Amino acid sequence: MSAQLAPLVVAAVLVAGAIGSVIRFALSRALPVRPGHLPRGILIVNVVGSGLAGAFLGLAERAAIDGDLRLVLVTGFCGGLTTFSTWGVETIELLDGGRWRAAILNVLVTLALGLAAAAAGYLLLR
Amino acid sequence: MRAYFAVLIGGLLGTALRLACDLALPHGDDAFPFSTLIVNLVGAFVLGWLVGGLWTRPSTPNWLKAGIGSGLLGSFTTMSAVLAAVVLLSVSGEAWLAALYLAVSAVGGLALAAAGLRVGSLIAHRPMPTTVTDAGQTL
Repeated sequence: MSAQLAPLVVAAVLVAGAIGSVIRFALSRALPVRPGHLPRGILIVNVVGSGLAGAFLGLAERAAIDGDLRLVLVTGFCGGLTTFSTWGVETIELLDGGRWRAAILNVLVTLALGLAAAAAGYLLLR
Repeated sequence: MRAYFAVLIGGLLGTALRLACDLALPHGDDAFPFSTLIVNLVGAFVLGWLVGGLWTRPSTPNWLKAGIGSGLLGSFTTMSAVLAAVVLLSVSGEAWLAALYLAVSAVGGLALAAAGLRVGSLIAHRPMPTTVTDAGQTL
């Protein structure tokens, strides 16, 4: 991470984060949560976003993308596309609704697929 | 359309706040990412609070829920940074630190989301006082 960030880089990070958020919102609207089922929209963006973050970090490591672009893509876009708060709250809502199997599945599937995607992206592209 | 605009603005603000935390608490790829842990735990609690409280009021407009929930808090918190950091920590030989970070993030985030839902629900649905405790002398 660069010590001094140019205002243009900061602006690009924020815009990338906002675009990621809008894509996440659009997908969560297209795939609304059915009561008792896995929240598919958030699951998909979290797995895809983690895979992309791993891939961008791999590219950054072999200097295919520089530090500023890494910040825009990883901190900005992937950070905005994925979310932790909605994942946590939706999991607890499943639990509160007595759907403990779906809640446990949401935790395990998100973390396992997200980790696998991030590791694959990173190891294949570094 | 208004909801999408609210998510866009919320997304700008949430990303800005997360970036500020990253810059305030910088960490290398082989060090424990305290900034990400803090934003995720705080974001999970606040979203739980809102979902359990303000969101349950019929007067809360959908664009506001979208702007603050999906936009601001959704972009403030991040799953990709957690899982990518677990991979980076693991490949730099810090597998135990990676496991600890993943466990603290997941367990802490779920616990704080649950706590937020309870607190928000308690405050939003506290019963109105039905008995006048001072026997009406001050009224």
